[in-house]
Amino acid sequence: MNRQRIRLKVNGQAYDTLCSENATLLTLLREDLGLTGTKEGCGAGECGACTVILNGRPVNSCMVLALECQDSEVRTIEGETVNGGLSDLQKAFIEHNALQCGFCTPGMIMSARALLDKNPSPTREDICEALEGNLCRCTGYEPIIAAVLSAAGGEVNE
Amino acid sequence: MPAFLQPSSLSEAWSALKENEDVRFLAGGTDLIVLMRQGAVKCGAVMDVKKIPELSVFGFKDGALEIGGAVTCAQILEAHETEGPYGILKQAAVTLANSLLRNRATLAGNLCNASPGGDMIPASLVLGASVVAASPRGEREIPLKDFFLGVKKHVLARDEIVLRVVFPKIQGGGVYLKKRRIRGHDLAQVGVAGFYDGGLRFALGAVGPTPVLVDFGRIPEAELLERKAEIVETVAAEAKPITDIRASKEYRLAMTRLFAGRILDALSSCSRPLAVEEAAQ
Repeated sequence: MNRQRIRLKVNGQAYDTLCSENATLLTLLREDLGLTGTKEGCGAGECGACTVILNGRPVNSCMVLALECQDSEVRTIEGETVNGGLSDLQKAFIEHNALQCGFCTPGMIMSARALLDKNPSPTREDICEALEGNLCRCTGYEPIIAAVLSAAGGEVNE
Repeated sequence: MPAFLQPSSLSEAWSALKENEDVRFLAGGTDLIVLMRQGAVKCGAVMDVKKIPELSVFGFKDGALEIGGAVTCAQILEAHETEGPYGILKQAAVTLANSLLRNRATLAGNLCNASPGGDMIPASLVLGASVVAASPRGEREIPLKDFFLGVKKHVLARDEIVLRVVFPKIQGGGVYLKKRRIRGHDLAQVGVAGFYDGGLRFALGAVGPTPVLVDFGRIPEAELLERKAEIVETVAAEAKPITDIRASKEYRLAMTRLFAGRILDALSSCSRPLAVEEAAQ
């Protein structure tokens, strides 16, 4: 199997490693770097479970080849950790019961994080658009929207 | 196991093409990577073309709008260049899949995937787009209306890279309406674009093996509504839909008529907002 050198930053930490030429970013994160917080769902860009932030934009990591990310900056759910604890978004998800099985949550939070980085005071519509690529089969989405609104300091009607 | 190539110039790309067989070009990857993972596409090498500087152009040159081969739908949605008459590109881009995919999917990739329902195609057709492609033999410009040969088939040779899509200087306004089953990642059941700049053009997606351009030539604005029934029927006559998992051919034909009529209404009263998206609610 041909392997090429890949250098990139994940959650601020620099990595310099070898990866298979046809590995996806998702495989690199999970299998080579041991960052298993990012999940694989459909593997076809439909569910968003594998969402990570690549150079500031949320993307499906199952649809990006690892070698496309040379010298890139990636943020994953592991990067949400603040001083060993949960981030504002993670706390808001718990507070608003925005997860049940939890499989979509890492991707959901990364999409929400990318939105808040760009737009700290999103409207409900902004949130719906930002999360339209992330499927959740448990919550019915309302608790997730409430959690993101609340993390953004917005008003939540429940 | 395909090799991964990432040239940073066209000359590097041409040398890499000589050294590798059966190369597929990778832009956003939202079609190619899925097909490769499913085993539906097998190739000797994948060439990521996004580091070639010529493919990142996005702006006006001699009055024409140039959108490079690596420019994403998200960039089109954020840009000032795609406002005014080119705003129909934004109307189409916002309906393409979902925000995650739009961060990767490119305009050129959407054209080259040559899907009958490619969302950027009808809007590009009514704007009179052409595709500038380069190969080791040189460059050529192909009018988009002559670009598609069939389902997922286009006129480019295996060693031709799309450098940019060029939209001529244009006035007027356009509307893109799309029907799909659900919001989010669903593909078009029907997509209809219309544009009026003194001349009237329609383009249809997902209702035939290739997207179709219907060019009515010049029509005085006052006649747009007077001739509505005739125009709608002429547009519908170009639709040759099939029944598949997304819709029946009868439904597609009915929606083509409905959308053509609505677009005509919008085009003939420029004061009305033109950005309307017909997603299934």
